[in-house]
Amino acid sequence: MARIKLVVNGQKRELDLDPTMPLLWVLRDYLGLTGTKYACGIAQCGACTVHVEGVPIRSCVFPVSAVQGKEITTIEGLSKNNDHPIQIAWIEEQVPQCGYCQSGQIMTAASLLKRNSSPTEEEIDNVMSSVLCRCGTYPRIKIAIQKVSGE
Amino acid sequence: MRNIPRRKFIQLSSASGAFLIVGCIPSAEGKEKLISKVTSNLPSIDLNQFISIGKDGSIILFNHRPEMGQGTYQSIPMILAEELEVDIDLVEIRQSQASRELYGSQMVVGSRSIQTQFEQLRIMGASAREILRQAAANKWETDLNDCRASNGRVVSNDGQVFTYGELIEDASKLEVPQKPPLKNPDQFKVIGKPFHRRDIPLKTNGEAQFGIDISVPGMLYASVERSPVFLGKIKSFDESEALKVQGVKQVISTSRTVYGRTRFGVAVLAESYWAAVQGRNVLLIEWDNQSLEEVSDLTIEKESLEASNSNGNELFGRGNTDKILDDSKEVIEASYQTPYQAHVPMEPMNAIVSVKENSAEFWGSTQNPNGIRSFIARKYEISENDIKINYTFMGGGFGRRSMTDVVEEAADLSKKSRVPVKVIWSREDDLTQGPFRACSLNVCRAVINDEGKVHALEHKIVAQEIRNQTGENMKAGRQLMGGINTNYTIPHLSVKGVLRKRHIPVSYWRAVYHSTNPFAHESFIDELAHRVKKDPIAFRLEMLDQPRYRRVLEEVAVRANWQASRTDNIGKGVAIAERSGAYFAMVVEVRKLKGRIVISRITTALDLGICINPDTVKAQTEGSIVMGLGAVYSGLTIKNGAVNEQNFNTYPMLKMDQCPEIETYIIKSNAPPDGAGESGLPTVAPALANAIFDLTGKRIRKLPIDMNGIM
Repeated sequence: MARIKLVVNGQKRELDLDPTMPLLWVLRDYLGLTGTKYACGIAQCGACTVHVEGVPIRSCVFPVSAVQGKEITTIEGLSKNNDHPIQIAWIEEQVPQCGYCQSGQIMTAASLLKRNSSPTEEEIDNVMSSVLCRCGTYPRIKIAIQKVSGE
Repeated sequence: MRNIPRRKFIQLSSASGAFLIVGCIPSAEGKEKLISKVTSNLPSIDLNQFISIGKDGSIILFNHRPEMGQGTYQSIPMILAEELEVDIDLVEIRQSQASRELYGSQMVVGSRSIQTQFEQLRIMGASAREILRQAAANKWETDLNDCRASNGRVVSNDGQVFTYGELIEDASKLEVPQKPPLKNPDQFKVIGKPFHRRDIPLKTNGEAQFGIDISVPGMLYASVERSPVFLGKIKSFDESEALKVQGVKQVISTSRTVYGRTRFGVAVLAESYWAAVQGRNVLLIEWDNQSLEEVSDLTIEKESLEASNSNGNELFGRGNTDKILDDSKEVIEASYQTPYQAHVPMEPMNAIVSVKENSAEFWGSTQNPNGIRSFIARKYEISENDIKINYTFMGGGFGRRSMTDVVEEAADLSKKSRVPVKVIWSREDDLTQGPFRACSLNVCRAVINDEGKVHALEHKIVAQEIRNQTGENMKAGRQLMGGINTNYTIPHLSVKGVLRKRHIPVSYWRAVYHSTNPFAHESFIDELAHRVKKDPIAFRLEMLDQPRYRRVLEEVAVRANWQASRTDNIGKGVAIAERSGAYFAMVVEVRKLKGRIVISRITTALDLGICINPDTVKAQTEGSIVMGLGAVYSGLTIKNGAVNEQNFNTYPMLKMDQCPEIETYIIKSNAPPDGAGESGLPTVAPALANAIFDLTGKRIRKLPIDMNGIM
């Protein structure tokens, strides 16, 4: 056990934790931020994607000790009123079906557009192919990202 | 009102006040009758179990089917709103409670939610509308025919207006019409329009709650180590190292039932899921694998091929197929194979159960909330009234969440530990434990007459059957022939099943046997078309007088530009199938690109009768195609009696860069609605295999397909 200091969605948190615990389980089971999802546990599907200092990471394999003091943003902190351009486009294009993977899709798409405000289709494919969706929402995800980048 | 019980019900009472009762009671003639009675001064009155109207005009519509992505959260309230005459975008939508008494079956399987209850849901909306109109007519002392319901209001012929809120109290005192008039489909204003789904905003900001997101006071997390070889038994286990892990509280052996067979495991219970996993990793368990380690893909293939020499039993027959095949000099024969597949909902299986002496409670994501209640009641001899079911959104289901085995584990562990237990399956558990979509061997044989027409066709399915996995009975049931098209006007047709039983468990997987049989059937029809040098669509149309099949096939031919001459670089394949009453045609277009074959476009046409929400139907079609393609590109393999693949790195899901452009065309129809959730899946594999043949001359008869290895 160790004293861990975190900054999540702008709020400072302090917890006594196993420092090897992946950030994912700290967010979900200790901070109640359940929007970030578990789906594979080996960084293969992207459902657990959060931003650390603005960079997308796979929180299921990222030990909590490695993010101490760094700024962590989860889906709950992406926007105040569900009004990030990606969220608006997701609703407009009716992207989610079951919705489980969508936090990871949205966090990945948001960071893609932050780095590159008008990605080509190939760039969208390259980045978004790392996030899995079993419901098959890929065609709509692509359209939604293109819509935001075209604006 | 076949599935919604006509019994008295009491809806959503608040603790402080009385409530309205509207519902059904047996009448003197022994028939059940819709009734309503006010016993309340609460601001909101429930007209029936689906509709609640407040005196301020606020309206709540309830969806009673658990939502796993299929979109009934929106489409069921749309049906209610259509007949109730309210603006669907202005009502509140809520998920109903789990209650067999109020709602009949709430199970979401087989694309049946809309199909089986369309009429009943319309009656619910229409009967509420009628008493509101009548209440207005009474107030105005005018004829009912002079009162029109529109947009949450009743308007009289001379322009007077009451909102539903102003009428609700009077309306609830009226007798409910037993056979309210229903709208003509030509008058539909909500049904058939692509309304936005109201669950979607919740699914863009982390707000939507899934089973795995719930925690309840005092619960422990559990991670369970189970035998990788199915049916393995525990010889012994050593929990001493696991108990040393900080946060681990208990180690308990447990079991669950999968289609009549007991499956064993050892559970680590801890204060956090992470601690439970750490404890599980250091468990030492010795398994008795029941000498099942020798089973592998090779032994299964050999055993299936041997079994295919048997005739099994006939599941469908017309004409004299056996004799014609025996007597013919030239019989065309081909065999097709499909592998086991896992469901892989993105939300791994999980459940929270609290079992006490005389009561129990469940929290989680399920396709079958009332089935869970009955299961717990039976197992622990607790009255169903004392079991509370709290169901959430599902992070995918695809059939896997219709089962109660994970609930059984959580209940068993709760009973033994005396605290609420949350069991979470890892992805590895999900892939290696199953149960799975059955693998299959299909053997097709045919005789073609002198006019180049199919004279006789035999389709033999060698596979495990979900409903008959144990015991001595080796007679194949009709379930096995799902997706075989008996509409082709082939004069002599025989479908046979050769039942196999194995220690590998099988279950319902999106489209079930429709996910395997059409690969063989529609590939074989394509082989026959090429044999007689006919165009595959023309060849099919010659054998079809079923109008809905003809319609979708003709539509897809136009939409996919089928007749356009092909360059050397393009191949096209077609397939048709019917699933859950929906008729479906697909054309897959493939191209050569840098030494590989890629899908450039998928065009589909479907006829599912009345379409409630076309955008949802399109989404379901896209989803079915993506899942179908995933099952074309990868499969599970069996090695040493167990599943070889462990996670997404070895059992890849379809990714965005593999997802082709998909075009969906919905045929306009006023026929009763059929199922949309699976109908796009059956045609994917055969249409793709047929396209690959068109492009390369190579016939794919075994899945999965390695798209990089064809040329």
